[in-house]
Amino acid sequence: MKKINNLIACLAVFGLIGTSCSDLEEFNGNERDITQEQLEVDFQHVGSKYKPIFESIYQYTPAWSYQLQQNLNADAYSGYMTPPRPFIAGANNTTYNLVSGWNNFIWSVPYSNVMNNATAISELTDTEFPTLNGVNLILKVAAMHRVSDVFGPIVYTNFGDLTNAGVYDSQENAYNAFFADLDTAVTNLMADIDSPKFAAFDLSYGGDYHNWVKLANSLRLRLAIRISAVDPALAKAEGEKALSQSEGLMAGNADGFFVNGSLDHPLTVIDNSWGDIRMNASMESILSGYSDGRIMSYFDESVDHPGQRKGIRNGLPLQAPFADELAQKAAYIGFSALNDGVKTPKVQLMTTSEVYFLKAEAALRGWSGAGTAQANYEMGITTSFEQHGVAGAAAYIADNTSVPANYVDPVNADNNATALSTITVAWNAGATNEEKLERIITQKWIAMFPEGQEAWSEFRRTGYPKIFPVVSNQSGGIVDTAIQIRRIPFVDSEKSTNASGVSTATGFLNGPDNAGTRLWWDTGSNF
Amino acid sequence: MKKIKILLFTIFSLMLSTNIIAQEKSISGTVTSKFDGEPLPGVSVVIENTTRGTETDFDGKYSIKASVGDVLTFSFVGMKSTSVTITANSSTVNAQLEEGDNILDEVVVTALGIKKTRKSITYAAQDIKAAELNKVKQTNPINSLSGKIAGASITRSASGAGGSVKVLIRGNSSIGNNQPLYVVDGIPLSNPSASQPGDTFGDINGGNRDGGDALSLINPDDIESLTVLKGASASALYGSAGLNGVILITTKKGKSGSFKVDFSSSVTAETAAYMMDFNDAAQKNVDTFLESGSTYINSFSISGGTENAQTYFSYSNTTANGILPSNSMKQHTFNVKETAQLLNDKLKLTASVMGSSQSFTNRAISGLYFNPLVGVYGFDTSAGSLSDYANYEELDVSRNIMSQRWFRGTSDIEQNPYWITHRNQSTDANKKLVSSLNLNYTVNDWLSIQARGTYDKTTTEFERKIYATTEATLAPANGRYIVNQNDFTQMYGDVIATVNTKFNDDLTVSVIAGASTTRNTTESLVADSGTNGGLQFANVFAYQNFNANASVNFRQNSYETRGNSIFASATFGYKDKLYVDVTARNDWTSTLPDDNNSFFYPSIGVTGILSELFEMNEKISFAKARISYAEVGNGFAADQINPNRSINFGGGINNTDPLRPFPGTTPKPERQKSFEIGTEWKFFNNRLGFDLGYYNTSTINQYFRVPVSTTIVASGVAGLNAGDIVNKGVELTVFAVPVQQDNFKWTTSVNYATNKNEILSISNDNVQGLIPTDFFTISGKGVNTFGSYLVKGGSFGDIYAHVIKRDSNGTPIYDSGAFVIDDANQVDGLTKVGNANPDFMLGWNNSFEFKNFTIDFLIDGKFGGETMSMTQAIVEGFSNNSAREDANENVDVVNLAGAASTLTAQEYYGKAGGRNGFTGEYMYSATNVRLAELAVGYNFNLSADSFFKRVKASLVGSNLFFFYKDAPHDPNVSLSTGNALQGVDVLGLPSTRSIGLNLNLTF
Repeated sequence: MKKINNLIACLAVFGLIGTSCSDLEEFNGNERDITQEQLEVDFQHVGSKYKPIFESIYQYTPAWSYQLQQNLNADAYSGYMTPPRPFIAGANNTTYNLVSGWNNFIWSVPYSNVMNNATAISELTDTEFPTLNGVNLILKVAAMHRVSDVFGPIVYTNFGDLTNAGVYDSQENAYNAFFADLDTAVTNLMADIDSPKFAAFDLSYGGDYHNWVKLANSLRLRLAIRISAVDPALAKAEGEKALSQSEGLMAGNADGFFVNGSLDHPLTVIDNSWGDIRMNASMESILSGYSDGRIMSYFDESVDHPGQRKGIRNGLPLQAPFADELAQKAAYIGFSALNDGVKTPKVQLMTTSEVYFLKAEAALRGWSGAGTAQANYEMGITTSFEQHGVAGAAAYIADNTSVPANYVDPVNADNNATALSTITVAWNAGATNEEKLERIITQKWIAMFPEGQEAWSEFRRTGYPKIFPVVSNQSGGIVDTAIQIRRIPFVDSEKSTNASGVSTATGFLNGPDNAGTRLWWDTGSNF
Repeated sequence: MKKIKILLFTIFSLMLSTNIIAQEKSISGTVTSKFDGEPLPGVSVVIENTTRGTETDFDGKYSIKASVGDVLTFSFVGMKSTSVTITANSSTVNAQLEEGDNILDEVVVTALGIKKTRKSITYAAQDIKAAELNKVKQTNPINSLSGKIAGASITRSASGAGGSVKVLIRGNSSIGNNQPLYVVDGIPLSNPSASQPGDTFGDINGGNRDGGDALSLINPDDIESLTVLKGASASALYGSAGLNGVILITTKKGKSGSFKVDFSSSVTAETAAYMMDFNDAAQKNVDTFLESGSTYINSFSISGGTENAQTYFSYSNTTANGILPSNSMKQHTFNVKETAQLLNDKLKLTASVMGSSQSFTNRAISGLYFNPLVGVYGFDTSAGSLSDYANYEELDVSRNIMSQRWFRGTSDIEQNPYWITHRNQSTDANKKLVSSLNLNYTVNDWLSIQARGTYDKTTTEFERKIYATTEATLAPANGRYIVNQNDFTQMYGDVIATVNTKFNDDLTVSVIAGASTTRNTTESLVADSGTNGGLQFANVFAYQNFNANASVNFRQNSYETRGNSIFASATFGYKDKLYVDVTARNDWTSTLPDDNNSFFYPSIGVTGILSELFEMNEKISFAKARISYAEVGNGFAADQINPNRSINFGGGINNTDPLRPFPGTTPKPERQKSFEIGTEWKFFNNRLGFDLGYYNTSTINQYFRVPVSTTIVASGVAGLNAGDIVNKGVELTVFAVPVQQDNFKWTTSVNYATNKNEILSISNDNVQGLIPTDFFTISGKGVNTFGSYLVKGGSFGDIYAHVIKRDSNGTPIYDSGAFVIDDANQVDGLTKVGNANPDFMLGWNNSFEFKNFTIDFLIDGKFGGETMSMTQAIVEGFSNNSAREDANENVDVVNLAGAASTLTAQEYYGKAGGRNGFTGEYMYSATNVRLAELAVGYNFNLSADSFFKRVKASLVGSNLFFFYKDAPHDPNVSLSTGNALQGVDVLGLPSTRSIGLNLNLTF
């Protein structure tokens, strides 16, 4: 009624000056954007939402967003890489002086790019196109377990739910939800395994659901191994479920989970264009100590130190004699950059070699269907060499003398460090389980490069490989230099917009909300 | 609400149907000066409370149709106005005007072009004549308002000549736009904001740039007078656009019978004057790099006409060379206005076309990206002298290309400054065309109808050509090309009927009723080969040279919004002693959901002339009191209600939904309620007077972009009507003529204003799923450590920073080689350290006339408030170039265990500094008092048969020096004319001191 009155009033007046009164709303939007109706053509209202998910698990673009999402935390904490520039006069994440403005991105990237689209896809496909939802759930688990492995509790089951707005799941509940989502995914896909429905939107497997089920099984094994110390029974059950599923696990390198994005690998920009990341001293120590052929395909020869692959210690403060960050950067930028081999437009999220190492550990833990630890361990190495086109795997596997090398910093001898481990490559059937595990995880660490997130998670779970501690620890006693950083505190944006959620989530932790508190699966002992 | 609407329509229909008989007749006469009896041309003759009026011709003659009982008011700049009531036997009405400063009796132009005597208005209004405005000419005429209007805060942008200007009347209230509405000759001017900086780091897509504003496109010499309507009561008739106050600009027009040519020329020289303290070596590099600037403004106008048709034409051009090498500006404006009286003077027609074009090369920017000052300020003086790198490129044989030459590897924040000015060059081209037609038909003696329309088009074009070997964060190997075009069109039309009646000798009523329609369209294009996309061939700047990949940004936007309104206003006058003003307006806007797109708002005001109502001491020449209340509703910007996801060039749909209303809510119009009260007194035959006012404005239901957890709304923000922001303040203007003799006159005035802003609430507790937050982000900290947030209990303009933790003695805590952050009471990880807005502002204007000499000066002061020098933080973080780092001083610190030690100044500031360092260490008081303007003029004595009618020359200076200033930079300069980046300087262009010469010729 009010509306009609308005309309009459409007007409009475604007009849005079020839303007319309009804449907004003149509003059509002941006006509260059795509409407819902236009999106529905070719089912793009569903399909177009996968690309943002694929490209944000490990964010493609902009490169600085990935830099903050992962490169300036997990990629450094894993011992893979180090920024040559002591950002913020050395008071930054790498020295445990956590930069909350950076770390917001670890949280916001997956929530703003993955969870929203995954939830929208689920709503659209849940009953109508179950296989499309199956793939969606696998992608969602692939993205979100990484977030949980950084913070611990996350908002997973209540995302976007207005009645339980902002309520966190404990990490244990989140892991249970991951397993449940993988169950649904596998069931949905197995019901119509040869459907080509996803082909047009698939950036990884060309729409082949067999591969997606293998990925689901491999992911399940990764998650099961992760919780093997904290909940051995559930771990064994989930692990054996993965090992016995009829489609199997990833077996050949072609099964690996890579995203074929349309853009350059963000590391290309960070490494080549900005000179903001270089080889880590731990990588140099272990790869050069083993004379590992993969060093050539991972890193370039140092510009300043010809003939060497030269890494930088983690956690460098602004050191004398440098007046400022840029001067110190100038001294280290000539260390080893990343090789183009790791910077293809394919972003590596899970390699087949990793799956063999997971199986090796599963065997060590006595899970059925895993095979033998040694066979899987050696297959992991072979598969990784093959992935990088490096010869000499057999000799490498047989090497029982080479050990990680001591590290020398040619710029500042104060940063020199003695190798922390004497673990060799060759399998030793007589070794303790602990030594076997160190061997498996050290090789898995080499094989997973450059995916620092998983490497950092496994380092925290197992303590392997033994990577150099930070040179400067500015955490004010919160982080123990020897056992290194355990997690990232909940982000500022959550604290300010969801204080109650963060407070509940903090209660789920084993300690205060800081970087020294161990996550649920981080028990500190392996067996 | 509904009742008021019915009333409104009753008035409107009455206007069309009633038939009140009154006698209309022709009145004519001559207006002369009381001083010398000479006829006065150009005197404004208006019928009070109407839009009807005329002007005297060259011989001081006028004629007008008026009815018995009408009041004719004669007014002229610098003269005391006089009024005559038409009686049954008046046909010739002559008037004599005497010199005086009784501005209160003047006729002022109010909303919609309605003319009223100053004494009858019920709200605060302050005006400025052209002469005042142009004493010290500025490339943007609005800059001249600083210190001259109580309650208006004028901040220049840091982009140099022709830059935008931020005008804030009575404080910040809106998270969207706080700028006033500009109205030129009764018609709202479109003042689209093309681009304003928002990030302390700088905009990677071309730099932190000032896209310009419409005001800089107006020729200051075309302005006859300018009136500032401060509160919502004054502007209620303009609707939502007038929410933040209105600046009414009346432009010059041709006058019948006279033929006049005015020519004015101004030359000024600018020097960089206010910047941080560098050590000697660094200062030398800065001085070598910065140049002295120059500005030339030339304009001429011709006006004249017959009794029935008059013409005004003007042309101006401005050329400015900035203090930044290779920065230049060129501007041309023209204005043609035709006025005609037809059908026996019943129909008045005004047609005008105003056009201007501006072009800039290397307009100054702030922030770190593309800013040459980074390399200038941070140059490592141990690497030689900056001028060694004036030769900014060298042949790179490996690519066979001229590549950037610099003393070390470039970084995201630092390049060779000469490379930036030559090889990252930007150009801006802005154009504006406003054409308007105004028809005013006098139906009979009590009714006139006016119809107006304008077509107002603004185009802006920005281009940056970035050569290969530019720093890799900003451009890939082959360079980068950025183009940004905007095309804003506003079409406005209105029809207004004016009814004047006089019920009896004591009661007059005038009613205005009308309707208006506005249509705005925006077309924009962004073409940017991007930081990763790149060009196929190096240094070829063309769209077809873009690499075909998804990192290229190619984007078009098109918006159209429409708004319709009806409005009415009635003024009741009782015996010239008491006036009551009522207005009502209803708007319909396309920017709100169909169900909520209509909104109504009223205003009411009362004025009593105390000196007429009561017997008063004869020393009191005039006294009045005023009170008013107004509400104004507001629609939204385009595309807020149900926006779709955008498409990325070559990259599918956008990853995240755009800003949308919070799930489950329906947006409604914003609302502002304001109350004001004031009084004006004049004493001693108008030699002394003051105007004192108080206001209280509350802005509720603003459509906030509330921060929401990304776990609830993935984009992290949602639209929500919420909040209550209150501004309260006092405005005081005091004027005096302490000396008035034949050969010497001194006039002085003081403008004082204080505003207190309080954020009462910024969220809404009753929305399902919304976790109410206690802050709202204006400038997010990003990766730098400056933030501006609206926090419940805080005020608009609060500044947040990283603060070093201190022990109980206030000694900074330094542990394990780093300062410890004070993380108590943080908002978004930052701590409140100040507020950008002053506690009060004071302007002191003085004018001396001694024989042929005139001396004018303006002292402008802002007291209170804080400002951050991120410039100093950056310089100290990345170099040892600041003077205090050179000083051999130690700073005491303690560690967490309480053990004391010392750091050298270099260590201390080196670690506290940086763009993301402890910016809390870089806070300064924003209090400053400056000699803003000084002009010494001489009027030449001319013989009666001289070719010239008037020749005046003056020596002018602006921003000459500070009596007091704490901050390293000029706190009156802002990086943005929007809401972002207030109270922080991030490598903004240093503020300049300018000295020059003005010449005015009339013949």
